Amino acid sequence: MSYIEVNNLKKNFIVKKKHEKGKILREKEIVNALKEVSFSVDKGELVGYIGPNGAGKSTTVKILSGILTPDGGEVTVGGIVPWKERKRHVKNIGVVFGQRSQLWWDVPIIDSYSLLRDIYRIPQGDYESRLKELTSALLLEELMRTPLRLLSLGQRMRAELCGSLLHRPQLLFLDEPTIGLDAVSKLALRDFLKWENDEYGTTIMLTTHDMEDIEALCSRVMVLGHGKKLFDGKLQDLLERYDTVRNVKIKYDQTATNLRLPEGVNCNQTEDGIELSYNPAELPTSKLLALLQEAGNISELTLQPQNTDHMIAAMYKELDL
Amino acid sequence: MNTLKLYIKSIGILLKSHLQYPSSFFMQTLAQLVMEGGEMMVVILIVDRFESLKGWSGGNLYFFFGIMSVSFYLTEMFGRGITGDFPSMIRTGRLDTFLVRPRGVLTQVLCGGTDPRRITCIAVGVAALIMGSNFSNIVWNPLKVLVLVESIAMSCLLILGLFMIEAIFCIFSVKSVELVNAITYGGRSACQYPIDIYPLPLRALFTVIAPFALTMHVPASWILDKPLYGWPSWTAFVTPLSGALVFAVMTVLFHLGIRHYRSTGS
Repeated sequence: MSYIEVNNLKKNFIVKKKHEKGKILREKEIVNALKEVSFSVDKGELVGYIGPNGAGKSTTVKILSGILTPDGGEVTVGGIVPWKERKRHVKNIGVVFGQRSQLWWDVPIIDSYSLLRDIYRIPQGDYESRLKELTSALLLEELMRTPLRLLSLGQRMRAELCGSLLHRPQLLFLDEPTIGLDAVSKLALRDFLKWENDEYGTTIMLTTHDMEDIEALCSRVMVLGHGKKLFDGKLQDLLERYDTVRNVKIKYDQTATNLRLPEGVNCNQTEDGIELSYNPAELPTSKLLALLQEAGNISELTLQPQNTDHMIAAMYKELDL
Repeated sequence: MNTLKLYIKSIGILLKSHLQYPSSFFMQTLAQLVMEGGEMMVVILIVDRFESLKGWSGGNLYFFFGIMSVSFYLTEMFGRGITGDFPSMIRTGRLDTFLVRPRGVLTQVLCGGTDPRRITCIAVGVAALIMGSNFSNIVWNPLKVLVLVESIAMSCLLILGLFMIEAIFCIFSVKSVELVNAITYGGRSACQYPIDIYPLPLRALFTVIAPFALTMHVPASWILDKPLYGWPSWTAFVTPLSGALVFAVMTVLFHLGIRHYRSTGS
């Protein structure tokens, strides 16, 4: 059995509709946030969980972390049903919510950590060594005496991560951890997560909208939409499936007169040259390049790298999300 | 024991947070003094005008007022997580962070809020108790002190329990329900006077539903050597326990409510 087992997970929310004229009671509507989602995750895996807003990502994380009780299905994490044995379960997990803080706003972060030590009943020696390790890995030494409210967004995220890992959880949930961070902070955060995963085999599940997070960290990605799991596998496989549009920019010495392109290639003449977009499945890149060379002397050519965001957008569109 | 240590440490940290803004803190503490002092003035004016109320002397009235003030504001000071901050804990998702920690939810809610500004209100209440005791010529003995302490402690639990009704509604509706204020703040205003000045329906309300009469008025009458509304004197020791009962029932309901917690989006 895998570390996390999720079978036919269901969760409904009752949403009250807006007040309509002539009716005393507001109508209720049942929204199926999750419709029979199943998956399993092994120990030490780094899984990305993506999907458009409202797909049910946060709901899944909230159920897995014991905050919400589902309406159907089975979930076990390390053999424990999260919402039935909440306290036993949450001892082993760490959760970082991107937009809400777990630390105390107005006091130095070291005070927050010492309170967390008491909450989790971490033995003093263990606490000290772990704190030392985390503060040096997350570059927090200088900030320990600073109140949380005075930290920048990136510093705060690092402080939150430290707080959620003090008790050495075996499983870490990250809800949009890099939201609003600058490039340097993002890279540092990703390096740290990789290190934590390598060093302790911590299972990490992260939800994000930043495809670079997934590319950098996750060997496996799950796509959720309309409360259903739509894809589960390697990121590369996902991308190949939706790698339908590629862009080429080309410039000729003189105006190319006999450029003939097969159907399905979009051609756009601009001041800077010609912009082409094509589907590599219909027209192999080598063939296109041959055609382009026949048309004249090429002075500049750029093959734009595949843009993951565009691909994901194309996928969401195709799946009607 | 461990839980108590955690509570004291949490409150210490919150106190530190409050003192991050010292001028605001002291101004508000002063404002509380003016507010509660005003309430006290009302009682003093009534006593000045009427001398006695349905057989209760001025000193007796101060004593009743004092018990209510001390109990109510002790509860607001140490139970702020329930009496004031709970709706915002739900709205901002702080409750989610409590749920992912291996401690009781109610413990963490109580560890999550304190209102030290109420200290001046408590001081006014203590002053009223001392005045009441002097004017009523109470002869204190260990048993009377015990009953007073019991009465205040149980009243605190009762008030906390009543505020929990609001918290439970809040779990379902996200917003707070003002109706419950009728028995919390309303109860405070009404029950700072002896219960027998009120008509029967109000007396029933504050004996059966929100039993301030049982946690405060019965033991207070006993301390003042007054007849206990026709009840035997041992009831002065027993009836205050209804406060603990209300609290226990509300704690159970609160945890049932948490099971149906829906969380807010992120």
